[in-house]
Formats: sequence, C-alpha cells, structure tokens
Amino acid sequence: MLKIIGEYIEKSWLLIVSSFFFGLLLALANTAWSGKIEQNKIDKLNGLMGSLIADASKFELVLKDAQVNTGKGKITKSDIYRATTSDGNTAGFCFRAEGAGFADKIELVIAVDSAFNKIMGYSVLASNETPGFGDRITGDYFRRQFMGAPVGTLNLLKKGDDTKVDNDIIAISGATVSSTAVVNIFNNFLEQIRRQVSEKGLLSNGK
Amino acid sequence: MANNTMTALDAVKGGLWTEVPVLRLILGMCPTLAVTAAVKPALTMGLSVLFVLVCSNIVVSLMRNLLKPHLRILMFTLTIATFVTIADLFLRAFTPQMSEVLGPYVPLIIVNCIIIARAEACASKNGIFVSAVDGIFMGIGFTIVLCILASIREVLAVGTICDIPVMWESFVPWAAMRMPVGAFITLGLMLGFVNFLTAKKS
Repeated sequence: MLKIIGEYIEKSWLLIVSSFFFGLLLALANTAWSGKIEQNKIDKLNGLMGSLIADASKFELVLKDAQVNTGKGKITKSDIYRATTSDGNTAGFCFRAEGAGFADKIELVIAVDSAFNKIMGYSVLASNETPGFGDRITGDYFRRQFMGAPVGTLNLLKKGDDTKVDNDIIAISGATVSSTAVVNIFNNFLEQIRRQVSEKGLLSNGK
Repeated sequence: MANNTMTALDAVKGGLWTEVPVLRLILGMCPTLAVTAAVKPALTMGLSVLFVLVCSNIVVSLMRNLLKPHLRILMFTLTIATFVTIADLFLRAFTPQMSEVLGPYVPLIIVNCIIIARAEACASKNGIFVSAVDGIFMGIGFTIVLCILASIREVLAVGTICDIPVMWESFVPWAAMRMPVGAFITLGLMLGFVNFLTAKKS
C-alpha cells in the first residue's frame, strides 16, 4: 500500500507542489485586487443610476435578490435601489434587469419614478449586440422612447411616431431582435418588480 | 528552429518575422478575429498575451528538467491558466472598461495555441533567458499584427485610430469592417500579402 502511495507521489509531486504555488499566487492577486474590482462594479452601477435619475444624491439598496420569473421557469435575481434627493425625498427606483439578446445576454439598469408609474429611462450595463445594428439599443433614438412611458406592458411596433411618449416603442431599423429583447426585458421585469416594491411598502407619494 | 540549440537571436527573428504567430504559423486566430475591431482592445489583448507568454515560458523553462511526459500538457495548462487569471484580474481592477470590451477573450487566452506552442517548442527545451526572449518577441510580433489589423479595420469602420479621427469629414464608414466579415477579409489580405513577400524572396 505504502509502495503504491509512494509511486503516486513520485509521479505527481510536481503537479501537487505547482498547484499549491499557483493557488497561492492567485490568492495573493485576488486579495490585492478584489476590493478594487468590487468598487469598479459599484462605481459603474452608481454612475449609470446617477445618469438616469439626475435629482438623486444617493442610492440605497432597499430590496436584495428580488426574484423575477423571466419565462420558461427561469428565475433571475435583481437588487432594487431607492434614489433619494438631498432633502430626503424618494426620486425613484433603479434595478438591474436582463434577458436574451441577439448575440448574448443584454443587461440593463432601469429607472422608474417614485410612485412606480413612469419609466425614467434605461442604460445598458452589458450587451454584445451586432455593431452598427443591435448595439444601437445604447443610442438616444431608442432609449428616448422609454423615458416617460407608463409602467405596464410595452408594445414593439415596426413603424410609428417615435416621439410620442406611450406604451408603443418603435423598433430600430435592422435590429428587430435586439429591440424586441429590450422590450421583453421591460415587460418581464417592470410588473414583477413593482409588485415586490409595493408589497414591501416602499411606494409612497414622493416620501 | 524549435530545438535545443535555439539562440536568443533566433527567438528575436522568429518572433518578429520567420515565426510570427498569426501570419506565419496561423496560430491565435480566435483573438485575432474577435478583438481587432479597434486598436485599443487589440493592443490590450496583445500585451496580455505578451505577459502570459513571458511568464509561462519562464516557469516552464524552470521546471523543464522535472517534467514527465504524462504531466507535460497538464503542467503547461496549469501554468498558463494561472497567469491568464492574474492578467484578467489586473484588467478588471485597473481597466474595467477594456475588460468589458474584451469580454471572454481574456480568459480564452488559456487555450491560445501560441502560448502552449511556445511552451512546447521553446521553453521546455531551452534555458530561462532564451525562453524569456522568445516570449517577449513572440508577444511583440503578435501585438504588432493585431494592431495593424485593428488599425485598418478601425480606420475603415469608424474613421479613427485609437479614437482619434483620421479620415475626411465626408468619409462614409464601412460598418462591415467592425463585424466578423471585416476581420476575415482584412486578415485574408494580410496573409496574402505576407505570402506574396515570402514567395518572392524564396
């Protein structure tokens, strides 16, 4: 038995020693930089939320891991933040939402008003849509249509008046799949997040 | 070239011309096609590969006399994966935007054939100095090709180089150059040009 163990160690000692050494190296690198990586994520999210709700002076996490059913039994978790103005009033809510895009997952940050009645806008946190076509979901033409739209089911139309603020969103020409993906994300998340925020008693008339 | 008698000069020549990974060995095609839509990500990818190449070549060279045939590939992969993870963590900490642009292509350096090929062909048979020089110049050769390819694509796709406008105002951008088709066409033309040069020489 000891002979077999000795044989195994003889054959694999380099692998064992190297694994220990490389593991140590990775642990050191992770310890040194993980704080900065986390801070970068927080800064990015705060930056995006700040650009969506200009009145906000701070964002506080009010509901962690809110569960959202994105269809086909798939559950996604989302953190909900409350934006507060400098005088303590609620300026709105922000949350992360995601769904399948044309090439890859699309991640958005969505902002709604304090009563959860109107959409204040969205920013793209991550997407890998086709350059020149699908990536125009980050552009003003498409994003502008969501600003002020009522919280409810949004419809995607191929043609229409894109300046009218309502439930109808006009698709980006040549990027119907990406446009549909964004609208589906809104339709999946808005209602379910509103219900959970409401159940928590977070909705008020601006207070 | 890939033998025990390789010198530092061979490594320099190999990395910069006779064995340029992308154009002569046709290795490392995945990042070459995927991250060359603009110069900045291409340069970041090139430098990341250079870092991993140098570090893995040095470590493999250090352990070359201890490597047993059945552990060789496993040890190469373990070494490369460690340095790729360090490069990935570094990018996420200090250049988060670039890290997002490069997406999965940084972790994918682990399976980049250039690095494992150099570990096998050079570092496992040569001393630390030659292996380090090989890593540096192979990395530089790879970075230069990526940057040339990315410059052509970025100029034609958006009219800029490193986000600095270089084309006239009425220039109409070729959106196709930002897409995979642009990468294939540009790379094909570059390969054709290099083949033409080498055929002419021989």
